[in-house]
Amino acid sequence: MIAAGAVSAGPHVFWITSRAAGTVALVLSSLAVVAGLLIGSRGGALKGLGGDVKALHEALSLATLAAVAVHGLALLGDHYLHPSILDLSIPFTGAYRPFWTGIGIVAGWSLAALGLSYYARSSIGQARWRSLHRFTALFWVLGIAHSLGSGTDAGRLWFLVMLVVPAGPALVLLLRRLGRGRYGKTVSPVPSSTIEIATAGQASAASRISS
Amino acid sequence: MDDPNRLEAKGLARAKIRGKRRRVQAIRRRTARGALALFAVVWTVVFAQLVSGNDPALSRPPVADRRHVPPRVAPEEEFAPEAEPEPSEEFPPEAEVEAVEVEPEPEPEPEPIVTSAS
Repeated sequence: MIAAGAVSAGPHVFWITSRAAGTVALVLSSLAVVAGLLIGSRGGALKGLGGDVKALHEALSLATLAAVAVHGLALLGDHYLHPSILDLSIPFTGAYRPFWTGIGIVAGWSLAALGLSYYARSSIGQARWRSLHRFTALFWVLGIAHSLGSGTDAGRLWFLVMLVVPAGPALVLLLRRLGRGRYGKTVSPVPSSTIEIATAGQASAASRISS
Repeated sequence: MDDPNRLEAKGLARAKIRGKRRRVQAIRRRTARGALALFAVVWTVVFAQLVSGNDPALSRPPVADRRHVPPRVAPEEEFAPEAEPEPSEEFPPEAEVEAVEVEPEPEPEPEPIVTSAS
């Protein structure tokens, strides 16, 4: 279907691809934020699903980065905008809506850096990585601002529905998290499962000593 | 020699790890498929918008910050024959040169046929 459309879309194929990839990136990033915030929540509904939600968060984040890459790279083939690689990689330098596009470039690079830093946690340090990872939410919001400011489909109903349906719950969860003040507190660098094991070990040691 | 209970526990742990790995792979596969399906749907919607002439970029008037960007042309317009130019405001219909009635030239009379016999 896409192949047939691509043939008839002719010179617009790169532009359509970029727009579609941008929208997909927006939806996936919102879902990734929802999954990420659910990992941290202490909700009973997710008990036992922690590993699955974590895997989903990781998969959604990687899919988001892939969509962001397609969104930017597809524009290189568009002969109307005809941006250079520098226009697409350096913020606030392009000719097309430099401010909003610049915000999108900042958000894209930051999401990539913060997302991929997950695989370098051992060298960054778990505590530092956790505090850095919280900024992901800020760049997600910047991505939404970019889509509304420079998105061609920003005024379309279908686009607004695709934006609000996943981003609404993400925003609610984010505000709840901020309201609880978890962002202000220092989080233990030791995972909760390790704490549980350690607590269980201490309890058994104590019982052995007492007996 | 390992305790049979210990071996059983190890086997159970291994099976649990294997199951978790399988679940994670399934989640990744499903996410990738979902993302591709979503991309296909959105691509089709944007394409349909473009082909039907309802594309926001094509219907929106040019604004100041778009001056560097040449106007896009819808696919059906690209291959269409050139339409007659509409009268612009610079040359309103009132200012057009009035048509002067010109008498039709009389048709020349046919010359008499001259034959060699005459």
